[in-house]
Amino acid sequence: MKKVFSVALGIIAAIGGFVDIGDIVFNVAAGATFGYQLLWAVVVGVGGIITYAEMCGRVAAVSEKAVFDVVRERLGFSAGLVTLVAGQFVNLLTLAAEIGGVALTLQLLSGLSYRLLLVLAVSALFVVLWAMPFSWIERVFGYGGLCLLVFVVAAIKLHPDWGSVAHGFVPSTGTGDGVVYAYYVVGLVGAAMIPYEVYFYSSGAVEERWTPKDLGINRANVLIGYSLGGLLSFALMISAGALLLPRGIQPDLLGTVSLVAASPIGQLGLILALVGTLFAVSGAAIDSAFSGAYSVAQFFGWEWGKYRHNAGAPRFTIAWIVMLVLGFLIVVTGVDPILVTEVSVIFAVVALPLTYLPILLVANDRAYMGRNANGVLANFFGGLYLVIILVIAVVAIPLLIASNMGQG
Amino acid sequence: MSIQGEIDLCLGILDHQLVDADGRRCGKVDDLELEGVRDGDPRVNAIVTGPGGWRGRGRLGRLLATLVRARTVVIPWEEVAEVGADVRLRKPARELGVGWGHDLAARWVEKLPGSSL
Repeated sequence: MKKVFSVALGIIAAIGGFVDIGDIVFNVAAGATFGYQLLWAVVVGVGGIITYAEMCGRVAAVSEKAVFDVVRERLGFSAGLVTLVAGQFVNLLTLAAEIGGVALTLQLLSGLSYRLLLVLAVSALFVVLWAMPFSWIERVFGYGGLCLLVFVVAAIKLHPDWGSVAHGFVPSTGTGDGVVYAYYVVGLVGAAMIPYEVYFYSSGAVEERWTPKDLGINRANVLIGYSLGGLLSFALMISAGALLLPRGIQPDLLGTVSLVAASPIGQLGLILALVGTLFAVSGAAIDSAFSGAYSVAQFFGWEWGKYRHNAGAPRFTIAWIVMLVLGFLIVVTGVDPILVTEVSVIFAVVALPLTYLPILLVANDRAYMGRNANGVLANFFGGLYLVIILVIAVVAIPLLIASNMGQG
Repeated sequence: MSIQGEIDLCLGILDHQLVDADGRRCGKVDDLELEGVRDGDPRVNAIVTGPGGWRGRGRLGRLLATLVRARTVVIPWEEVAEVGADVRLRKPARELGVGWGHDLAARWVEKLPGSSL
């Protein structure tokens, strides 16, 4: 019974932890521009993160190796270093965007100045990372993020045309500007599959000392947690499609997003949306700061992990402090966090194949994985998604430029 | 140690995690020293860990090795206890001279309040 309970808690944390600022920005912008037409792209992205997070968790449980151990062992020093630099660049941009998002949300809640709140946000994140145990961090922010479920209520209360919603789950080339449409496809898939999630997930599995006995938990976490997390993405896009598109509103600010929940539900909806965003985005900031530290520590073989006290893994500790400081320095320049978010997701897409190819190779290596190596199903989806991410990696930056960042 | 069965040096040892006798992670197998290659009887002589080991690892490795100032340590093969998912050493990192960066960083972090949290 205790085990069932613990599995359930893990799944709930995964749902709340799924959505980050990239998902919020791309789902709401896609809904406001194309209505429900792009729901299928979210399905593609969620399928991808399920496929590869399951593989990463399985590799971590069986071989005790986290993603960047595997990347370096398989790609060697030089190609591994390229992956590290690309991954860190994306982690840093993501972290900067999330810190900015935390400050923007705090600003909507308090009305204080954005720069002051940036300082407050980064200080609070430091205290949490420094003092809170790993399992608490995951749970507290995962549960808090569940407030975003208010968007599911909002989506239903806005009475969307369910026929068109259902139609949106069928892949299509869409109506409207084709280049912008393609840009959103790449952004939605990229936001769902953003690599810091698997860096964090696999390192967490090693930290919690998973063994092959935990493979069931891994599968449940990933399959149920991420699918239901995907539900939040659908809700964001459907609400935006029902409310913003008919009125021609483009969500340039995070405040617009919260108003999507306020319009059908009122003040309670607004508060839940803001609190949910605050927890989800703070959680993602923590995950991406840790992911940066995990990656560099695993690449160079340093002691790492939050389960060791701060001085027990000192280079890891210094690494996440440096990440926080650099992320703060990026947003404190006054650059628009929404802009940073879009750029971070698009660059993440470019880094995806380098991260996921070594995982696919190791998950197939029977010398490590034994009978837990990839089966037919995992290899079918693993291969399919490798092709998909290779294609979107190639077109991502040209589309960013051609679509003028989705502005058309 | 002598290895039971076959290990692919490139995939099975190179770039793997070093773990010392206390279970602490202490660097990667950055390079290997082989001997007897010319006699047709190649054997692994030692593990190289640290920037010196990056020199032979492609152009980027060479570049990074010239930029990073850190100790390079050659660990004789006799100090290896086991090769599995990671490479286990027989002695604590400090005795082998590979705990240097860790200890230096620890002295900094320990100055902050709550460093043992």
